[in-house]
Amino acid sequence: MKKFDVGPLTAAPQPAARRSRRRGPAARYHASLYLMLAPFLAGMLVLVVIPAALSVGLAFTAYDGLSAPEWRGLDNFRHLLRDQLFRTAAWNSLQFVALSVPLRVLMALGLALLLSRRHRGAGLYRAAVYLPTIIPSPAYALAWLWIFNPIYGPLNMLLGALGLPTPAWLADSSTALPAIALMSVFQLGEGLVVLLAGLQEIPREQYDAAAIDGAGGLALLRSVTLPLLAPWLLLLTIRDIIVSAQSTFAPALLMTGGGPYYATLFVPLLMYETAFDRFRFGEGAAMMLLLFLGVGLLIWLAHAALGGWGYDDEV
Amino acid sequence: MRSSLQPHAPAEGRRPPARTLRRAVESALFHAAALAAAALFVAPLLWVLIASLQPVGAPVRGPLALPHAPQWPNYARVFELVPLGMYIGNSLLVAALAVPGTIVVASWAGFAMAQLPPRERYLLIGLAVALRMVPVTALWLTRFVLFTRLGLIDTIWPLLAPVWMGSSPLFVLLFYWSFRRTPQALFESARLDGLGALSIWARVGLPLARPAAMAVGVLTFVQYWSDFINPLLYLKSEQRYTLAVGLRILQQMDLTNWPLLMAAAVMMALPVVALFLVAQRAFWPEARLAGVYGR
Repeated sequence: MKKFDVGPLTAAPQPAARRSRRRGPAARYHASLYLMLAPFLAGMLVLVVIPAALSVGLAFTAYDGLSAPEWRGLDNFRHLLRDQLFRTAAWNSLQFVALSVPLRVLMALGLALLLSRRHRGAGLYRAAVYLPTIIPSPAYALAWLWIFNPIYGPLNMLLGALGLPTPAWLADSSTALPAIALMSVFQLGEGLVVLLAGLQEIPREQYDAAAIDGAGGLALLRSVTLPLLAPWLLLLTIRDIIVSAQSTFAPALLMTGGGPYYATLFVPLLMYETAFDRFRFGEGAAMMLLLFLGVGLLIWLAHAALGGWGYDDEV
Repeated sequence: MRSSLQPHAPAEGRRPPARTLRRAVESALFHAAALAAAALFVAPLLWVLIASLQPVGAPVRGPLALPHAPQWPNYARVFELVPLGMYIGNSLLVAALAVPGTIVVASWAGFAMAQLPPRERYLLIGLAVALRMVPVTALWLTRFVLFTRLGLIDTIWPLLAPVWMGSSPLFVLLFYWSFRRTPQALFESARLDGLGALSIWARVGLPLARPAAMAVGVLTFVQYWSDFINPLLYLKSEQRYTLAVGLRILQQMDLTNWPLLMAAAVMMALPVVALFLVAQRAFWPEARLAGVYGR
């Protein structure tokens, strides 16, 4: 419609219009918009794009932060793949993602299905479930350090009172990693909100149509809700993989220091120690690159596993 | 539901009371399940709050036992242990500088994006969404080298550097979304009046985007108040420490003094929780952006 209005006007005085596009008020307005964009674009360039690119380059060098970086080719990667500490950290990170992501996504899905119902007070319940997500990471880590305390901690007191086993949690190398995964589950608020938004997008007619076909609650869930929610679940899974690969840093540093016996040594913590305690920036950058290759691989797997699902059912 | 109250309603027979009953049962089940979920998620935080009010050194009596008399002086004692007031002051200074700067940079960018022709607009949105995916961990090393070269280590500036890019592409997208939803005729008539882009942003755009500005302000405060990585990497001397790294000092003193440690954790969480209780919707930007991602 707009084209129709503007067309005849711009068609006649072609040369003048072109000149005015360069010098007239419209051009000036266009240029001033880019001036307003400039701080954001420049900041992104200097703080995100260039550091990310340099970080990739640094992975192929030896660099101590003082003298100029020395080209080392693939040496860092060869060294890391043989390094026992890095292998442990990579394995731990993978275990953490494998534990934390499915738990978080499934819990978020269950809670979203429950809390999307329009009942009085639903907003209050949502807020309560969201609350742990906003707690700043150092405070959150300290809080769980107390909760997991094997002797005085409230969790073991509760388990003991119920006659359940009371593991040593962070003090035991076999339970430390699951414990950190467990505390990450309580911060699933963002996933919950994403899925609540996804549920709202499902048109009511879809349910009505299926209900006329005689579908009950569970059948509706399987044939309508889950297929239509599939893209959101995939989005959430991808986001969660990215977040989980990195979010171990604060808990590992503050709660366990990577212990006991390297049970909670994750790649970000090892990278932090390698780069900032031992000044091996090249090696640290190589670790990051390997971590993100791994994250990319996991995302690809998740996409292959979940991506096709949903659309088939609909047809 | 109402029909069950009307005994003379014809033809409906016995079904309405059955339906009301079913609905009541369904509602009760919902509240039971939702209450259980809410309790599960709030319990860890309540445990911490209770622990912070226990008498120091006294044995804990049980998982659900409240202290006989809440020990509010615990909170004051943390200030004697570490210079907590100084940490809080530093954190507040960072946040106070970051919030207005972020609102200006992010709303400028969002305004410009909303006003640009479609092709440029979509390119920039794609860029912002893509840059949101760049993992921050990948930036630690090279940013550290950059700030070292610039001689900015152990100053407040590396902590505030993200302000320059609007703190997060998310905030730019929030403003963009808000400016797109403003009737475009308002901007066009302001342009016909001869106003420049900056005056239109200041006089027409920003006043109408106040909810977005509120949300971005709240989220920015939370981001800088909670920031743990940047102060950890860039601050060396204790008098510049923010509360996030200050808590680590407290923890490294290896005190088994749990009530005081928990009191410190509560104090760090308190402003964020208070903001959440007052401006809950601001914390759920993803819901508002659902349209941008979903399509």
